[in-house]
Amino acid sequence: MFFHIYLDRNLQLHPRHFGPHLRDKLIAKLIQDVEGTCSGRHGFVVAVTAVETIGSGLIRDGTGFVTFPVKYQCVVFRPFKGEILESVVTMVNKMGFFAEAGPVQIFVSNHLIPDDMAFQSDDVPNYKTSDGSVRIQKDSEVRLKIVGTRVDATEIFCIGTIKDDFLGLIGDPGGAT
Amino acid sequence: MADEDYNDYDGGDVGYEEEPPEPDIEDEVAEGDEENDDARDFDGLETDTLVDGAEVRTDKPRKTTKYMTKYERARVLGTRALQISMNAPVMVNLEGETDPLEIAMKELRERKIPFTIRRYLPDGSYEDWGVDELIVEDSWRRQVG
Repeated sequence: MFFHIYLDRNLQLHPRHFGPHLRDKLIAKLIQDVEGTCSGRHGFVVAVTAVETIGSGLIRDGTGFVTFPVKYQCVVFRPFKGEILESVVTMVNKMGFFAEAGPVQIFVSNHLIPDDMAFQSDDVPNYKTSDGSVRIQKDSEVRLKIVGTRVDATEIFCIGTIKDDFLGLIGDPGGAT
Repeated sequence: MADEDYNDYDGGDVGYEEEPPEPDIEDEVAEGDEENDDARDFDGLETDTLVDGAEVRTDKPRKTTKYMTKYERARVLGTRALQISMNAPVMVNLEGETDPLEIAMKELRERKIPFTIRRYLPDGSYEDWGVDELIVEDSWRRQVG
């Protein structure tokens, strides 16, 4: 799920960036520091949408650096248990397959793949129904449900299932649905 | 549940206040390593201090000395010289000076050091004085090099 939230952060700025463009430099640094990171508390920071306030700086003793408290709005992505996601398969092996939905890695174990699908260790390892009508391989698009999340300080990892109604393959490699 | 966490952020009170664009560099020399708890309250004041110079918005009149103490002077000069040595833009016209401390002293003489001194009082409160407001006594001037 995506959220648009307010966050704050203290940014350390090198003295060489002082001057008329201080604000721009700070915003550039904020975006570089923050976008694409993941915190267990908020999820993946997708984009900084606005900078609310930049507080007054505080000089760090001994280093000459200045710390600015910055409040900003950003879009974060955080997967939840029970959420349905569409994802792209990145790796298939006999234990199950890995898929990616944006920045988040999802593992689907073969216990959570419908029983009529079996692992095939061809050139392109895949899961296939006995009649061959459904085939999940690398780059397939899959709709899955998250059944568990592991949230670390800097990483979120999910376990998914496709063993439910309306879940499973939604597109073959190449993007045709 | 986890949803509730997020309600805090979505509906949370975020006292938005329009802040004028930063005039220039704004820094402060603060005593101690106190983090910026009330940076928001302080915003306007800081900007006023730097923009209008004499006009300062405070709740109470300030009562500490209007003279810069020699300790403040030492710290301001030291910090500013360090910044200049790290390529911070210089706020005065140079006439061949190259020593960062010498440049810092020239900036102080012309009251161009973009700092605010935060004087903590024994009860934990503080007063903010811009370096440009404080009187620097002549007798401390020292020859360098």
